Amino acid sequence: MEFNIYGYKCKKCGQVHYPFRTTCKKCGHFIFEDKAEKYELVPLSKKGKLLTWTRLRSLPGDFEVPELLFGIVQLDDGNRLTGQLDIAAPKTGMKVAGVVRVVRREGYNEHKGIVFESA
Amino acid sequence: MREVFCVGIGITSFTRLEYPLAEIAAYPGMMALKDSGLSKVDQLYVANMGAGRTNHQTGLASAVLDQLSLAPAWAETIENGPASGASAIKTGFMAIASGMCDTVMVIGAERMREVNDLEATECVATLTHPQAEWIYGITLPSMAGMFARMYMDKYGVTPRHLGMVAVKNHDNAMDNFYAHLHERITLEGIIDSPEAATNNPIVADPLRFYDCCPVSDGAACVILASGDAAKKTGKPRIRLAGVGQATDTLAVHDRKDPTDLLSTRGAAAQAFKMAGLKPSQIDVAELHDAFTILEIANSEEAGFFKKGEGHIALEKGETRIGGSLPINPSGGLKAKGHPVGATGVGQAHEIVLQLRGEAEKRQVKGAKRGFTCNFGGFGNNVVCLAFTKEK
Repeated sequence: MEFNIYGYKCKKCGQVHYPFRTTCKKCGHFIFEDKAEKYELVPLSKKGKLLTWTRLRSLPGDFEVPELLFGIVQLDDGNRLTGQLDIAAPKTGMKVAGVVRVVRREGYNEHKGIVFESA
Repeated sequence: MREVFCVGIGITSFTRLEYPLAEIAAYPGMMALKDSGLSKVDQLYVANMGAGRTNHQTGLASAVLDQLSLAPAWAETIENGPASGASAIKTGFMAIASGMCDTVMVIGAERMREVNDLEATECVATLTHPQAEWIYGITLPSMAGMFARMYMDKYGVTPRHLGMVAVKNHDNAMDNFYAHLHERITLEGIIDSPEAATNNPIVADPLRFYDCCPVSDGAACVILASGDAAKKTGKPRIRLAGVGQATDTLAVHDRKDPTDLLSTRGAAAQAFKMAGLKPSQIDVAELHDAFTILEIANSEEAGFFKKGEGHIALEKGETRIGGSLPINPSGGLKAKGHPVGATGVGQAHEIVLQLRGEAEKRQVKGAKRGFTCNFGGFGNNVVCLAFTKEK
């Protein structure tokens, strides 16, 4: 099964938000006011360009790996995402494609997020 | 709005302190009472970020107030992440400016070394966006690493520039008894020599060990007073002349240009406007250098240098003691230390000391106007303060 990261599209002005916010950052529309419709969920593109990245060697306790890589990606649809990278030698500006899978296990909880690979 | 003055200051060493948090917090309060000659205050604000998690203590202000036997004065704890300290000073300013209080004691305190450094970093990482950032394992050093890379790509900042910030601030801290790190470092040792990779390993590429502040315990205190109350103390008239605060998106990727720190820009502009000052009139500044890149970026956003030129001013030595604008004479967060809740109050403590002319070996000669920038989250909530020496 393929998972997606969903953006929250304002029903009034069309601005897509990720992460979720209760009030549209563009037009000020209160997303919770439309009780029947709420917001429109739109799957975000998983392809884009790497804006910046880092290799972290000092990790939180939930991760039993020697290092983790993170990046901010400018998606093809104009939105942006922060995610993990599964790329040995990342370069700013490189093309990447994401997969949504479990990125963190915290006790019995599993958190799904996006991991980018070179495209 | 009434004028607000700083009449008493106190500080502990920023280091590992093996005392209960409320005692650590009360110590500089005691020093500041002694300094000001006051025996009671109308209100106590205690700035702290992580006591509930790292020290199993909440309602810290009540505990500190009791330590100092200041009952029945008012007391509240203020939490605004790493900007808690300056936020508490801002709140104290409002209490006096509004006429509600005549004297306010502001203490910032943190005891992060009760847990190990990784757990402390994890506690601070709870500042990031829970769904869009935290789940990935992102910590504040990772945020700063990604920010630094963008800054380097855009403005030509190099690892050497970052190293220069570290060397300068470590040098300054040598003359600060209360600083966490009394360790002189050189560019050769941390950047240029073959041993540099061992001495200065990667933490969050491109940031290395010496680009990151230590995890510190510590506390600092500033007592604020109205004009009349300040006159009675007979202390040098150091006025808290400007206060500014601005916020930005929680997720860093959500910002139009993630290399812009609009919160610092806005907070600094407000503080300067209220004080009736221009950045060029400031003699000494304490800027939030939790990571070396932030000293450069904040020096630009506060208006001291043009955007993208902070590293050039650093290169020329303008930010050293003796330069045109000494930044972080105390050693900054980088070398003085960063007990998160105490940091903003510690910055104000240094500026009051400098304006009084009591900073000894690290004194900026003739300093009359000072500035602090206390940076919360990764730039989502920044508080700036401007201080002036009055006759």
